[in-house]
Amino acid sequence: MALGIFLAIIGGAFVSIQNTFNANVKKQVSVWTTTALVLFLGFAASLAAGLIFEGTGLFSFQAEPWFWFSGIVGVGVVACVTQGVQILGPSRAISLVMVSQIFFGLMWDTLGWFGLEQVPFTWQSLLGVLMISGGVLLFQLGPKLEQKPFVKLNPETMEAND
Amino acid sequence: MKGILFALLGGFFLTFQSVANATISSQIGSWQAATMTQLTGFVLAIFIVLIIRDRSYRQLPQVSPLYASGGMLAAIVLFSNMTAVHIMGVTLTIAIFLIAQLVLAIAIDGRGWFDMSQKRIGKTQIVGVLMMIAGVIILKL
Repeated sequence: MALGIFLAIIGGAFVSIQNTFNANVKKQVSVWTTTALVLFLGFAASLAAGLIFEGTGLFSFQAEPWFWFSGIVGVGVVACVTQGVQILGPSRAISLVMVSQIFFGLMWDTLGWFGLEQVPFTWQSLLGVLMISGGVLLFQLGPKLEQKPFVKLNPETMEAND
Repeated sequence: MKGILFALLGGFFLTFQSVANATISSQIGSWQAATMTQLTGFVLAIFIVLIIRDRSYRQLPQVSPLYASGGMLAAIVLFSNMTAVHIMGVTLTIAIFLIAQLVLAIAIDGRGWFDMSQKRIGKTQIVGVLMMIAGVIILKL
């Protein structure tokens, strides 16, 4: 449990750094070129890490056919988030993305689809998720409510991405 | 309306990605899963770049090498995400990921690190993060 929390904190921090770096890349090149570059380097780094930790054992696995299509999901994320941001603006779009993420998370834990360990639904967990959603909305939309545009954070650093 | 739908679908895909990666990694291993999803995503992204005849890659040499190599961080992100989902489920993993992400965003924007324009941090942002932390505690109690 403590290890899970620790890893999630590290992971989330790196998402933030990666979003910031990507935002700087996007100042020069398009969203899709940025996405292609980011995924290529992600592939190279994962391959290198895999070879370091497991050697050529990295390549001995039995993949189900759908595994090969998992990358499509990441591209779907970029397409939807980019469209959402264009239509709604960054703060409203990203707050909705994050709220949607956490509610689908609760749904998935409850249903236990895809071989995920089922976590029984409780009203308490719904309350927790509502509270987290409220926090996200306050974080993203609060500056607008305060009517001070200068307190707005750079939308790029908060983009949902991984 | 369309924008709302796109945003909600984007959130769905992000959660689906975490779940799919965790499932794949439990069957074939974490590094195998990370390598595979990044490679297949890259192939699709390159197709899109070719189809829309995007030539902006010509500007890539102008990007600072540090920022251009940000994609490599995905290895750490994916590994920690998959392992965290195995240990404590998707909801809690996403919640803590978001909190860490937003706390660091406050630091980056507040200080203007990494060429981000410096922004003042509002009280609502601090209260928002505290509410999220309270939410996680309620989830876990």
